[in-house]
Amino acid sequence: MLGMEAEMLKGHLDAIVLAALEAGPAHGYAIIETIKRNSTNTFDLPEGTVYPALHRLEAVGLLSSAWMTPPGGRRRRMYSLTKAGSAALADRRKAWGRFSQAVDALLGGGRAWPA
Amino acid sequence: MAGVIDDYVAALRRDLDFDPTLARRLADEVESQLWEAAEADLAGPSPEAERRAVARFGLAREVAAQFASDAIARQARRSCIMLAATVAVTFIAMRLRVIWLDDLGGSVSALAPLIDRYAFIAALLVGIVGWFAFRRSVLPLAVCRAGLAASIAAGIARAGLFVDGAPLHVLLPAAGEIALIGLLSWHVFGLHRRLRRTATLRRAG
Repeated sequence: MLGMEAEMLKGHLDAIVLAALEAGPAHGYAIIETIKRNSTNTFDLPEGTVYPALHRLEAVGLLSSAWMTPPGGRRRRMYSLTKAGSAALADRRKAWGRFSQAVDALLGGGRAWPA
Repeated sequence: MAGVIDDYVAALRRDLDFDPTLARRLADEVESQLWEAAEADLAGPSPEAERRAVARFGLAREVAAQFASDAIARQARRSCIMLAATVAVTFIAMRLRVIWLDDLGGSVSALAPLIDRYAFIAALLVGIVGWFAFRRSVLPLAVCRAGLAASIAAGIARAGLFVDGAPLHVLLPAAGEIALIGLLSWHVFGLHRRLRRTATLRRAG
């Protein structure tokens, strides 16, 4: 990943992690795979970078987690969105929509901003 | 013989030594993820697959440094709350002591009232200035803590609390301020330790 993209991603990592958990509970490895897949490999993060975000989001009550052992599988810590987490994701989506629209307008050169 | 994953998890545990609970929890979690990644490797589980899983995870000290930064923010918040509580309880205890001493007509030392009052005021000023000017340094917090400790010690010496048989409404706030200054010292020390650890991890990275 390019340096600028990595820097931009850092500022949005919490929202990206929340979005990756929107479909349902998942463990760290699955979250990273979801981020990679949904970004069509643009965000190929070092896998360790997602854990501080998971712990930070759990500490502020946006995620909850519990150890689970699937039948015949390895014990994993599963993370899921809390109600507050879903609300925070909705807020961040709105904010991102406004922000990206403004940046598109500025960088795209097509129309004036603010409209 | 320990494998690549075991060595990595041990290194992560060492780098997270500023928070043993986090170190334990994260080590378990990361170990589970790394084994899963190694087992999912296209070439099948092998020492080479373990090495690839560890390489994709990132350097242990960089992961630990990110946790340390988050821990500093949390610890700084807790220290500030503790500082505010200590200032409030010290002020209340000081006022109750003054009222009680006025009733008795004096104190056991001439110097103690001055230290009691001015160390408290100095601690408060350093705390306020430090909060706005040096958010990334533990020094103002440490100086503020020292000022409050001096004020509390002087206040207790001034009243001769435990030799003169002070009433409960004077003794309880005094016990509270002693407990709070102890907790504050512990928090400030913890913050200092985390700041040093983060700096070390960042230098090593």
